[in-house]
Amino acid sequence: MIRSMHKKSHRYRGHGTPLIKCLTECNKGEEVSIINVNAGHGAKRRLANLGLVPGTVIKKKLEAPFRGPIEIFVKGTKLVIGRGLASKILVECNEACSF
Amino acid sequence: MSSHLPKKPKNKGKYKDTINIALAGNPNVGKSVIFNQLTGLSQTIGNWPGKTVERMEGYLDFLGYHFNIVDLPGIYSLSTYSLEEIVSREYIVSDEVDLIINVIDATNLERNLFFTFQLLELKVPMILAINQMDILRKRKIELDFEELERIFKLPVLPVVAVHGTGVHQLLEEAIEMVVYRYSHSHFDSSEPEEYEHHRHDYYRDEHVYNKVEKWPPLKKEFEFPDLSSILSFGKEVETKINNLRREIEKNQDYFSGFQYPLRFLAIKLLEDDEEIRKIFENNEKARSSIEIAKNYRNELEEYHGEDINTIISSEIYNDIHKIIEKVVSIKQKEKVQKTSFADKIDHLTTHSFWGYVILAFVIFGIYAFTFTVGDLLGGLIDGIYEDLSVTIYDTYGEDNLWIKILWNGGVGGFFGAVGGVLVYVIPFFLIIEILQDSGYLPRAAFLMDRVMHAIGVHGKTIIPMILGFGCNVPACAGCRIMETEREKKISIVLSSLVPCAAVMTVVMGLVGRYLGLFWVLFLLAINFTVILIVGRLLNKTMPGVCTELIMEMHEYRVPNYNVITKQTWLRSKEFIFKAMPLIIVLGITLEILLELRALDPINIVLSPITVFWLGLPIITGVFLIYGILRKELTLVLLALLASSMGLTLIELMTPIQMIVFCLVTMLYVPCFATVVIIAKQTNWKYALQISLMEISVALLIGGLIHFGYIFFTTL
Repeated sequence: MIRSMHKKSHRYRGHGTPLIKCLTECNKGEEVSIINVNAGHGAKRRLANLGLVPGTVIKKKLEAPFRGPIEIFVKGTKLVIGRGLASKILVECNEACSF
Repeated sequence: MSSHLPKKPKNKGKYKDTINIALAGNPNVGKSVIFNQLTGLSQTIGNWPGKTVERMEGYLDFLGYHFNIVDLPGIYSLSTYSLEEIVSREYIVSDEVDLIINVIDATNLERNLFFTFQLLELKVPMILAINQMDILRKRKIELDFEELERIFKLPVLPVVAVHGTGVHQLLEEAIEMVVYRYSHSHFDSSEPEEYEHHRHDYYRDEHVYNKVEKWPPLKKEFEFPDLSSILSFGKEVETKINNLRREIEKNQDYFSGFQYPLRFLAIKLLEDDEEIRKIFENNEKARSSIEIAKNYRNELEEYHGEDINTIISSEIYNDIHKIIEKVVSIKQKEKVQKTSFADKIDHLTTHSFWGYVILAFVIFGIYAFTFTVGDLLGGLIDGIYEDLSVTIYDTYGEDNLWIKILWNGGVGGFFGAVGGVLVYVIPFFLIIEILQDSGYLPRAAFLMDRVMHAIGVHGKTIIPMILGFGCNVPACAGCRIMETEREKKISIVLSSLVPCAAVMTVVMGLVGRYLGLFWVLFLLAINFTVILIVGRLLNKTMPGVCTELIMEMHEYRVPNYNVITKQTWLRSKEFIFKAMPLIIVLGITLEILLELRALDPINIVLSPITVFWLGLPIITGVFLIYGILRKELTLVLLALLASSMGLTLIELMTPIQMIVFCLVTMLYVPCFATVVIIAKQTNWKYALQISLMEISVALLIGGLIHFGYIFFTTL
């Protein structure tokens, strides 16, 4: 029980329902699509201009050590997003993605 | 294409032949490479009036026309996220520019076209330059340029900027647009042959050219193509924008002063753009539109369940997606890619262990490189100065007043600036340009973001701070990469506090040599603690909030030799012509003060601070003043004094005096060149504020150590 709490992703395994989580919770190399960006006005506009709008497929590439920022692959380029902001980006796991 | 253009006799009316071009595009699309190819060494670097944004300008004469070219900062959109975006937007619609060349990276069409769409809304004459076509060809991807021209109804040209192919064709196209009054109707024809035929029609109008005395501004006459088929949004959004535009039209007289197209104003008002809203707020009649826009916005947000910017951006990206499907064809499915060398370096430099090792090496490398090259060249130049001095003294006598003021002050100041600062600055700019152009610096920002948050800024600030380890001058100039005014100002303060190579000379030469490495680390620890505290305090006190890091991580590439050398020269030039004259004037002033024996009174005036508060020998007052000119002078003068008294430094000063002296030298004020650069980046008021703040911090900590030491030893 406790172990499954730690590994959140395991809870939904096999159910076929898409898993909703924030970008920070994704694994390295996981491909997800954006559901919602919950950030403030300015940051949201910036991200939208860069193509991070609901429905966009992104791939998490890297996470800097010490709970640092997150590098994603979006629309053919690599983008680094501060951790605080990344935790406000809600994503949905694609069906095909492996946990 | 050039064969169609009539060769025009030169110097035939100055203004008729000037074409003003602005290069616009996303960051890292090769804009500056194109700019370098076009303008060569004619570039100047300055600031946009009243803004801390850099303005790159250059000119060239081509086919008998004079081109003024401005390289706009690389941006992703025309909103108000950063100062760069505001500056660019205002400049593009101004009368200063005839047409825009939008540089587009062929390998990343989606995001680049997003910016193109924003530019199209400004309705200015525009040429699309699709760069990096060689890479696209290598990947066996084809772009349908004719289709692109039909879609945008504007000239679209392939470019390989690094090789210079297609770059000058851009200018030929520009001449066509300005001189021949480009007619976009040619793009409407669907038959390729007919289209090609139409395309050159207007070349033949040679007699028109000879009649006109001076070309009226292109913008006024330019009939911008009707792009409503690609620029229109979905039905709900489009109706709202049209309604809003009609509302704005009622006050057309007022808005015509701002040069923005009405539709652009309507879109931005709907998006609640701060700057545009201000325009509306400043007019009685226009103010009502704000309320209407707000209602529309709420309706739309409720309908879509999304924020307005997301709605609009999504729609634009959808349109772009459709265009890309039309024009891009992949000839050959890409093979499974092997990890390239660039990917391997990328992996290593962002690695959670090796990344930091490499970062440490880079910082150490900057120190080492600046030290070795600077010391070598500086030694040579000092040697020349001393040799010359001997000759001058022999001819005119050492005690000649004018010799002292002009030679020691003026020429000495000049040599001091060249041998003491410039020789460090130039190799330093070079290494920085290499780091910047290769794409390493964002990796450092990525690794250090978490650490920098402890100071209250985000990871990007580490970039100017890394530069600061070599020299604070380029560091403060490098703060221009920060997006907002607030971040820029905070980074400038922090960068000016980083111990530069000159400061390290003093610390190593005094404390390191006589007291050991432990005390050097002690001093560095204090220095970094000060940076930490100052950063946090500034973050608390400055209005606004700390923004989160959003940064594109570009692929590694081999630095472009042309860009690096030209950029290095350009930045050094700025230092030579702007900071050096001031340094020479200061040198003369100091020499006059010395001649008037005004320094002894200064020592006495400063003695409450130096002797009482800091517990230093009285003579150090003047040394600290000299140190403002060049920080290592404090050590040089101290050593001179000691040797003239036949003492070693350790006999002259007690260990605690050394530590206090070094600490004050480290922190008390940025060197004069840095202050000048800060003033150029921001304003003199801010530069003086920083200096005062740093002096008080230095005195506070120096005093605390002095009295703390007395307190503990008397216990």
